[in-house]
Amino acid sequence: MKIVYDHLVQYILENPSIEQVSNSLFQLGHEHEIDGNIFDMEFTPNRGDCLSINGLLRDLAVFYTVDLNQEIYSKKIDELSIDFENLSESMCPQISFLKLEIDQVPQIYKNSLNNYFLDLGLNKNNFFTDVSNYLSYEMGQPTHCYDASKINNKLIFHEIKKNEDFETLLDKKITLTGKNSVFSLNDEIINLAGIVGGKSTSCSSDTKIVIVECAFFKPESIIGKSVKYDIQSEASHKFERGVDPNCHDRVLRRFIELVGQHANIKNISTISYKSKNNPITRIPIDVNKINQIIGINISENEYLNYISKLGFFIEQDFIKVPSFRHDIKSHNDLAEEVARVIGYDNIPKSEISIPKNKNTNHNDFENKLRYFLLDHGFYEVINSPFVSLLSEEAVKVDNPLDSNREFLRTNITNSLVDNLLFNERRQKDSIKLFEISDLYVSKNGLDNKRRLAIVASGRVDLNYQDFSKKISEKYLKTLFQELLPSKSFNFKVISRKHLNTKIKNEIVSLEIDIDEFADNILDYKEISGPPLSFIQFSPISDLPSSFKDLSFAIKDYTKAKELQDLLLNYKSNIIKNIFIFDYFKNEQKQEIKIGFRFIFQSKESTLTSEEIDPILQDIIKLSETIESVSIPGLLK
Amino acid sequence: MSEDKDISSPELIKDRGSLHPINHMKDFIMNLLISFGFEVINGPEIETEEFNFDMLNIKKSHPARQMHDTFYVENKSNLLRTHTSPVQIRGMLEKKPPLAFISGGKVYRKDDDATHLPMFHQVEGIYVDENVNFAQLKDLIYKIIFSLFGEDVELRFRPSYFPFTEPSAEVDILSKEGKWLEILGCGLVNPVVLENCSIDSKKYSGLAFGIGVERIAMLKHGVKDIRDFYKSNLDFLSQFK
Repeated sequence: MKIVYDHLVQYILENPSIEQVSNSLFQLGHEHEIDGNIFDMEFTPNRGDCLSINGLLRDLAVFYTVDLNQEIYSKKIDELSIDFENLSESMCPQISFLKLEIDQVPQIYKNSLNNYFLDLGLNKNNFFTDVSNYLSYEMGQPTHCYDASKINNKLIFHEIKKNEDFETLLDKKITLTGKNSVFSLNDEIINLAGIVGGKSTSCSSDTKIVIVECAFFKPESIIGKSVKYDIQSEASHKFERGVDPNCHDRVLRRFIELVGQHANIKNISTISYKSKNNPITRIPIDVNKINQIIGINISENEYLNYISKLGFFIEQDFIKVPSFRHDIKSHNDLAEEVARVIGYDNIPKSEISIPKNKNTNHNDFENKLRYFLLDHGFYEVINSPFVSLLSEEAVKVDNPLDSNREFLRTNITNSLVDNLLFNERRQKDSIKLFEISDLYVSKNGLDNKRRLAIVASGRVDLNYQDFSKKISEKYLKTLFQELLPSKSFNFKVISRKHLNTKIKNEIVSLEIDIDEFADNILDYKEISGPPLSFIQFSPISDLPSSFKDLSFAIKDYTKAKELQDLLLNYKSNIIKNIFIFDYFKNEQKQEIKIGFRFIFQSKESTLTSEEIDPILQDIIKLSETIESVSIPGLLK
Repeated sequence: MSEDKDISSPELIKDRGSLHPINHMKDFIMNLLISFGFEVINGPEIETEEFNFDMLNIKKSHPARQMHDTFYVENKSNLLRTHTSPVQIRGMLEKKPPLAFISGGKVYRKDDDATHLPMFHQVEGIYVDENVNFAQLKDLIYKIIFSLFGEDVELRFRPSYFPFTEPSAEVDILSKEGKWLEILGCGLVNPVVLENCSIDSKKYSGLAFGIGVERIAMLKHGVKDIRDFYKSNLDFLSQFK
């Protein structure tokens, strides 16, 4: 909700700056951003009472002297004769109507009404609706304006349960389904209560006689309706959060006053219907309880001072909660009020001591498995569970994001194969992935399994020993035998036939209940562990990479290490990775051959040989500084 | 090609994989909390409305329930948990105070844009004992945040609203760029929730907090786009070793 700083501060005697008001609002828990002199407020859903100038001022009154010098019409008003029946008092226990006639529709707005439209840059509608909208901004109570000439029969408030068509005053046609609270006239719905009025009885720029409806609707009759019918409605936002049931007389008198500032009023009459008295919440005064909850030590006087400044009434041994504070029901609620006034940041910390828990081994067994896989070059991934239908046992999402995410996956492997193909398309030729996740299936009720899946394909590793070896079923079986010699694992080779890829490497997978590893793997001595620090992530490139291989011959064996250190540590902003993919020692020739692969990739553009070649030349030049190192076949 | 082992052969560098940065961050936070005395409990990802909402004082008619953007499953008989809080309810129904639980895992909200994902991770904790108060909650939150971001980090507590805590707070830290960033939500357990779990709220009080794992991981690693965590891109994952 947007609230103009000037509209607030005009009622505050201390005239605080926008920064001071902003700080006060933050301390009170009212998050906002400032755009020029407008507060863009984001209220928590329990504070519907703050959704207006006056509501916010009620909270700010705890820090400032607030003088709400808003004039209201104070004379006696005739009783309105209106043919109205409330058939659903439980949803609308309180409702008032005001009928008002003016001699001429004003074209120019004055005072606060004018400032409202001007300062917030809002479009005007028609006079009565404009007054109603402003009043909601000022006082927080939405009202609805009917053109009185169109209310020609009995007006009924009731709850309907059958489907009915309805056209809103914003020309939107909707079909009401399920339960809806509505106002009807001549069997036609003229108002979707608390959300949006209908077109047939709305005011126009010619309307001179208006019937203003001011109601208290139960939040449960409103909640979810604006989302359901896709209607942006400030009124429903307020009714959902609860309005003040006791404000009708003041709101309608203020309505009359604002109209009177702009036009000559010929007739005024009002009527109120109340099915039952609003429950009043009273909480015993108990400052010790408040001190105990917050962990402070304030006096009863301080406590009551804070609370009364927020609009609470002190009645002998009780605190009476004002009718606009539906959210206050207990000592904890009042403690929060006190804490807000003191300022959460001003409440001193108090040493906490939680008794030590004996069971400190969190996830040991799964971690063993994860570190075993890490030791062998597997990367852990996490995939979304939402898929299009895979199996009849899949759990169906009733309200999916889209038809491709209508079910919960029944296996992890398919997600991992997608991950594999994604990385293959990004020129990865050694891919080893795993995921541990809960899976749910619908089989005579819901069934839950925690599973591990692995998928691997391509080179075993990017080092000179494993570069030419390909991941196979046999390779993985051997690997897992190291972990659990007693168990035979059911690895599968996944066909690439339907995978839309030209790569031929075998895809090997395993999916297994995590329980099958049981505690047998707790003796595994892992090499990997959690990272020692939180690395700063470096953005990755989506551009293609290319590689260059250089093969070196070394006569003096002792120089091999020097070459390795020099090249593996070579730095360039377009080199992504360097590794030794080949090593061969020829005892007869007394020569070592080492092959280095340099992978190039830029974050800015696809690399050309003009960019790569100078780097390569520099590497060659550097290598030549080492004695006995040569590049066989290199053309100079 | 030879597999000779001799002193002149280059060091054989084997690629070690990496933990997923979100799982690593989740475990890091949970291990930290274990060191403070908390015990780990687990609960299902498919929950009932009763545990996910009703027992936590999130009433059907309240906007807070609407704000959760829930995924329902199996003809609305169940739902994907929108937070890890129902695990605390399960814990409190099983064990009597004093108790100190944490739980972590996947949670789901019907949301999918640049800053929100339909699946994300939370770590949540609850401590119920006699005379647990807000000042102690502050102490615990300071300890958690100092452990994560160092003792020089500036933080602030803001009043907030969660139906299951009262008073409720959100905690922000000041970024290097001078912006306040929301880090976690916390509060004193609403006595209604304790009573729902048959815990005498006159005798016991509790504190609770919930941490968004992705948020902390993004800050700690400098990841700007939350979606990067879930692309399974090896260029991304291989950085987190």
